[in-house]
Amino acid sequence: MQHQLIDTPDFGMLQITFDQPGEKIVSEAGAMVAMDTAIQMQTAMRGGLMAAAKRKLLGGESLFQNTFTSTAPGQRLFLSPGPEGDLRAMNLAPGQNFFLQSGAYVAHVGEQMVLDTKFGGVKGFFGGVGLFMLKVTGPGTVYYSAYGALHEIDVPPEGYTVDNAHLVGFTEGLTFNVRKFGGFKGLFFSGEGLVCDFQGQGRVFLQTRNAGSLAAFLHPYRAVKAKG
Amino acid sequence: MEFHVLYRPAHSLAVCNLNPNETIRAEAGAMVSMTRNINVVAAAKNPGEGGLKSLFKGLKRMALGGESFFTNTYTAMNQPGHVTFAPSLTGDMIVHNLQGETLLIQGSSYVAAPDSVTIDTKFQGFKGLFSGESLFFLSASGHGPVLMNAFGAIETIDLNGEMIVDTGHIVAFTSGIKYSVVKATKGLISSFLSGEGLVLRMQGQGRMYVQSRNPSEFGATVGRMLPPREN
Repeated sequence: MQHQLIDTPDFGMLQITFDQPGEKIVSEAGAMVAMDTAIQMQTAMRGGLMAAAKRKLLGGESLFQNTFTSTAPGQRLFLSPGPEGDLRAMNLAPGQNFFLQSGAYVAHVGEQMVLDTKFGGVKGFFGGVGLFMLKVTGPGTVYYSAYGALHEIDVPPEGYTVDNAHLVGFTEGLTFNVRKFGGFKGLFFSGEGLVCDFQGQGRVFLQTRNAGSLAAFLHPYRAVKAKG
Repeated sequence: MEFHVLYRPAHSLAVCNLNPNETIRAEAGAMVSMTRNINVVAAAKNPGEGGLKSLFKGLKRMALGGESFFTNTYTAMNQPGHVTFAPSLTGDMIVHNLQGETLLIQGSSYVAAPDSVTIDTKFQGFKGLFSGESLFFLSASGHGPVLMNAFGAIETIDLNGEMIVDTGHIVAFTSGIKYSVVKATKGLISSFLSGEGLVLRMQGQGRMYVQSRNPSEFGATVGRMLPPREN
């Protein structure tokens, strides 16, 4: 199986070419753009109903995943994420972990790869937003996307702070803490809601746009519902 | 202080490198990430402003222009640090280095500036009566970099004479340029129908920055496809 990341960084798309029959890739439901006809597509709740429901409820990912299996050599498959932006691959060794923000997952290759939704370990009323991370454990390759450009930062010794809405993922070796930005006052006055403070040795991946800000921009342009 | 704008033009990210104890002021909501030694304070636009008076100023600004309510100050404590900023919409960011001149910036295009730049928030705008477009300028003066964002690409135009710019496409211009708000075409009806209700007649000598997309047009296009809001 060969993969190529094309049309990056603004409109990243994954092009897969299967070498052998029986090769597989699993993707988020709705990611398929185009494919040759000797590819079998199976829709399933991966890991069974409970695991899928947990991913849906906690991680915001879709309930279903599609498995594409090649039945002939040389078959092509194109996959793309929802938002405009970059698309990258991360190769994980056996037992190696990678954490992704809900919605950043696009696809993965590797039958032994484990995807599990983890609670971010945050307390409080405001902790409900985007603090569930998808824990991806190798061996295998996971493909992930960003809204906008993907910016990578090696966490410096003093630590690093990221706006939650801009967080895409991070490598293992990091611990993090979610807090309200600038305290209670900050939540209303400063614009930013929650931030993640990272500590340790590892790399953080950011997206340069976020869907919430776009929604907030568009909101005033909606018509106002007539009263009565 | 040093700005780098990465990932231009579509998904720009501005990295502001700060020396120890240097401060940058930025629009609330623009911060993407920062080093842990950055101390953040929600504050007024300029040093010395604050309190209730500043709160009302903030409210006034929000009512008049698309500008956000508050400014945060970011200070690198004791060692170097950085803060990154990004706008809400797809588009470029640009740094204008002020060398004593005054720059008029369309309200929602302003992102950040150091204390050596004075941001004047007094009303200098014009509210469009016919087109629904409102216009609000901040003035930035002093010495130092001013970070601005745009919807789409940014074109830099050096003006010596006269030019017409659409109100939805202006980002900023230096104060050697005087502007007046005029109807695009003669007559009320044709002015409305042309889609260019009110335009800016720019006159003088200086630099202008214009954006290749119009946020209000985009908002209106998408907004009418969304379900109505409660309030």
